[in-house]
Amino acid sequence: MAKIIIIEDTETIREELRTFLTKYGYETVAPTNFQNIVDYTLREEPDLILLDINLPVFDGYYICREIRKSSDVPIIVVTSRDNEMDELMSMNLGADDFVTKPYNTQVLLARITSILRRVHGVKTQDLITYNDLKFNLSNGSIIYKGISSELTKNEIKILSCLIKNKGKIVSRDDLMDFMWNSDSFVDDNNLSVNVTRLRKKLEEVGMKENIETRRGLGYILP
Amino acid sequence: MKLKDYFKDRTLFLLINFMLFAIMCSIMLLIDIRVNIIILIFCIWFLPVFSYMITEFIKQKNFYNEVTNIMDDLDKKYLLSEIIKEPEFIEGKLLYDLLKHANRDMHEHVKKYRDMESEYREYIETWVHEIKTPIASARLIIENNQNEVTKNINYEIKKVEEYIEQVLYYARSNNVSKDYVIKEVSLNTLVRNVIKRNSRDFISKRISIDIEAVEGTVYGDVKWLEFILNQVIGNSIKYIREKDGMVKVYSVKNENNVVLTIEDNGIGIIDNDINRVFEKGFTGENGRRFGKSTGIGLYLCKKLSDQLGLGLNLTSIIGEGTKVCIIFPLGKVNLMS
Repeated sequence: MAKIIIIEDTETIREELRTFLTKYGYETVAPTNFQNIVDYTLREEPDLILLDINLPVFDGYYICREIRKSSDVPIIVVTSRDNEMDELMSMNLGADDFVTKPYNTQVLLARITSILRRVHGVKTQDLITYNDLKFNLSNGSIIYKGISSELTKNEIKILSCLIKNKGKIVSRDDLMDFMWNSDSFVDDNNLSVNVTRLRKKLEEVGMKENIETRRGLGYILP
Repeated sequence: MKLKDYFKDRTLFLLINFMLFAIMCSIMLLIDIRVNIIILIFCIWFLPVFSYMITEFIKQKNFYNEVTNIMDDLDKKYLLSEIIKEPEFIEGKLLYDLLKHANRDMHEHVKKYRDMESEYREYIETWVHEIKTPIASARLIIENNQNEVTKNINYEIKKVEEYIEQVLYYARSNNVSKDYVIKEVSLNTLVRNVIKRNSRDFISKRISIDIEAVEGTVYGDVKWLEFILNQVIGNSIKYIREKDGMVKVYSVKNENNVVLTIEDNGIGIIDNDINRVFEKGFTGENGRRFGKSTGIGLYLCKKLSDQLGLGLNLTSIIGEGTKVCIIFPLGKVNLMS
């Protein structure tokens, strides 16, 4: 489990970010005292640091520079200052990425994952399992008890969204929004067609649990 | 300055001279002085007077001509007193000093307002950054507590963010150069990002989108371009027809520019309003009917486009839709690559 240190002075953000990242399977540490923040951080040996710029005692740039003197731990700078100078300065001081507030949490999560993957060289398979179904996100194949099938780009997105929210109804609008935000600008009809095809493929591999339609509400994977 | 006007200005002086001479003349006639002598006295009297007046006239005329010429050539007219030579005649000197004094005072006055303005702008920028923290907190709280209610709050918060962004860009619109970084921008990525930002509205209003024909790259600042495009697309969404709404975005590469067109099949704009849509605070017929307009969005777009050197024009047919073209000029350097 990767360990993330959140260096952030706004209490609400600090706590909510902890809850959020814990939910996604990270171990989080969030110091509340900024006096010896550099030593503290180095002692904790985190896998990644989320660093705010406007901090009491020392500002983020200083902390970034000090940490870089003795550690190569990935640092993501998170700040509400959004001009190019700040970004440039952060990068020059050795930060790995720069995210501006108010950030999209999914974007933040994606960046954390990608940096961790790059730094630790772990080839994650991007494998999701749902009951007996193995779903490989990187090549879009599904395997159910030995029988496999290939999914198209849109079907991958629909299935991954439904598996993420398994047991919950996902409204058509939410599903479409999820797809739009990953660059598939599908319309209403397109979505129906894709869902129907996906359902058929799941049927073909012999999966018992299939996507159910809840009239007027949306889709659900039980 | 004309000679006639100059003499007209000195009518009183001349009149007194003539009256005095006339009195003397009549006295001289009474004591039987010869006409020749009277003419001689006339010459002795008036020749110096006229020659003096004429040299004065030439001096003044030269001075004022110079001042007028400088004034015509001058870019910033208020700098006049800094540029003209100090005149040699007394009235000129007096006026020159007064002008300088007034000028100095005006500069101080202008400076005061300039300081006030920049102070205000700085405050707005700080404020915008400050308000982002509570917004980020709110977004995280929503993220951790997802349900119908928070989803709706999230939607509203997104709108708040848009308005805040508008404030920031409004404050910055007077000096774009302060944070402006020119990079190669892919039009496709730009358009996709803006569509994604508005995905909720597109989906809930069932607006179909066609961005197949967007391609190529332009040179500009991503943030500013995104802001302009977001305003334009935001308008398309706002004024879309109720059924079968469609927004089409495409780019055309010409010899010396790239034109990005955003076309919708919304309610359109009436002819009377179309020329005024870029005016500040202008809301027009649609603003009155739908009451969602502040008259700032397009005004800002135009202002920013002008500063970024982009063309922005809008055509519309009432009941059929609106078409906005953003024209990116291509310089020689760009064309070579």
